[in-house]
Amino acid sequence: MLLELVEVTKRFGGLTAVSDISFSIEKGEIFGILGPNGSGKTTLLNLITGILTPTAGRIVWKATEIQGRSPHAIAAAGVVKTFQNPQLFLELSIYDNIAIATHLPLQRQLGLRRLAGLLPWSAAARGSNVMGRIDHILALCRLDDVRDRTAAGLSYGQEKMLGLAMAMMCEPDLLLLDEPASGLGEDEIRTLEEVLRDLRNAATTLCVIDHKVDFLARVADRAIALQQGMMIAQGTPADVLRHPRVIEAYLGRQHARA
Amino acid sequence: MKFLLWIPFFVFPALVRSDFILTIFIFSFILGIAAVSFNLIFGFTGQLSMFHAAAFGIAAYITSLTVSLFHVSFWLGLLPSIGFAIVISLLIGSICFKFRLRAFYFAVVTLAFSELARLVILNWNDVTNGTLGLMVLDKPSLWLPMVGQLRIEGAMGWYFLSLAALIFTVGLCSLVLRSWIGRCFAAIRLNEDLAQTLGINIFRYKLLSFTLANALAAIAGSLYAFYTGYIEPNYLSINQSLDIISMVLLGGRSSIAGPIAGAFVLTGLPHVIDLSGEARAMLYGLVLIVTILMMPQGVIGTFAVWRRAA
Repeated sequence: MLLELVEVTKRFGGLTAVSDISFSIEKGEIFGILGPNGSGKTTLLNLITGILTPTAGRIVWKATEIQGRSPHAIAAAGVVKTFQNPQLFLELSIYDNIAIATHLPLQRQLGLRRLAGLLPWSAAARGSNVMGRIDHILALCRLDDVRDRTAAGLSYGQEKMLGLAMAMMCEPDLLLLDEPASGLGEDEIRTLEEVLRDLRNAATTLCVIDHKVDFLARVADRAIALQQGMMIAQGTPADVLRHPRVIEAYLGRQHARA
Repeated sequence: MKFLLWIPFFVFPALVRSDFILTIFIFSFILGIAAVSFNLIFGFTGQLSMFHAAAFGIAAYITSLTVSLFHVSFWLGLLPSIGFAIVISLLIGSICFKFRLRAFYFAVVTLAFSELARLVILNWNDVTNGTLGLMVLDKPSLWLPMVGQLRIEGAMGWYFLSLAALIFTVGLCSLVLRSWIGRCFAAIRLNEDLAQTLGINIFRYKLLSFTLANALAAIAGSLYAFYTGYIEPNYLSINQSLDIISMVLLGGRSSIAGPIAGAFVLTGLPHVIDLSGEARAMLYGLVLIVTILMMPQGVIGTFAVWRRAA
């Protein structure tokens, strides 16, 4: 078991955003979290990545409790997330954005030897293989054509891919994706699915959040469904989607709107 | 190849023998060190520190007091002041960054600490001689091959000493900024939330930036004290901080060269245009306002944009 949540609750004042949720993610799988807008999906991700601290409950990562740790420490431990609305270093080029994300792999690989890399003549300790991976990731995310453009000039789909590229550069063990497919066109979704498959082949465990049912149903091995902060179903995506409470809470409402 | 740009500075004193002009250059070099190092925390890490003049002034006092009380060389006297700058930066930085003070809050708290330091120096009459300040009679000396022990006294000596110190500062800053540390500084400046999720320890790198900036300011302050031969509590005043900020804004805060250009303009301008104190302050303000309005990226930044466009 890679990640386990035990009875995690988060309250904001009187509002309970996440209520008593327990589930676990196994190594190597693609885990889906499903739910309509406002059901607590993003809050759940922020709890796992340390941006928020749970009001109650435990979050166990590789047999250590991580709730209350700072976000950078959790990222360093191997849990990295992408943002629903891509967060980027807007003034910098695409390449430089990803270069900043080399922080963790360089730290892991070189540790204090990075200090030797400060000297102008010691090129060896600068982690050239890590920097070389930037090109690989740029190509994988179809960003190699725009690598020298500033991040402010990207289309929404490219912004999302850049967010994913930066998270990949961190070489996480568990990658949490917050609505990776929302706002993407058909082609971009196909690229995304390719990238996700590639990640899974590289032994990265994925946790994907989405309110789009079809995308999750295609990529996830297992899923849970949330409604108003509570877990209402879990199992294979097909089982979850067949669950009466999910149909009522999620599809039902969508049908009612249509 | 950027180091070739320094060559004119080495040739310059051979062509211009005027002590008056060399003096302007010496002040520009020393204040340039203060401005370049301030830009580490301000321009590159995005934190407006108001402690810079305090680090500059405290170091001026510590170095000259160490030299006069213990009769050691300038270089040995520099060590405790750099050491103190590091310790005090770690202390103040830890307080500010632990409480995640951002933008104005950071500026106000560092300003409070810097006023605290000024008041201590102002009122500690036995040691600092209060408002009257202290004369610094010693001069640094250097051992050079072929020349032997050389006392840095005249304009020529100070020109090369301060130039060397500026080159050291620029070299150190560019090495740091080119490395992963510089990338962390940029990440913190541009998007702290994202930086954290990429595993960057914001607290650690802000602290590093603040400490490095103040340690280099300590070198500038010590040189300034020994060059002018005089120290007073006003070195730590908010005016001194504002002067340094002006240099950085004027020159441009996105490069290392910018603050140096700013230091030259603001040091040279009052001498080129002979004005009284009040008029000079007004000119300072006017130049600053016009530059910020017309060239928000500073002189060097605007120049870089022109060159890219051409």
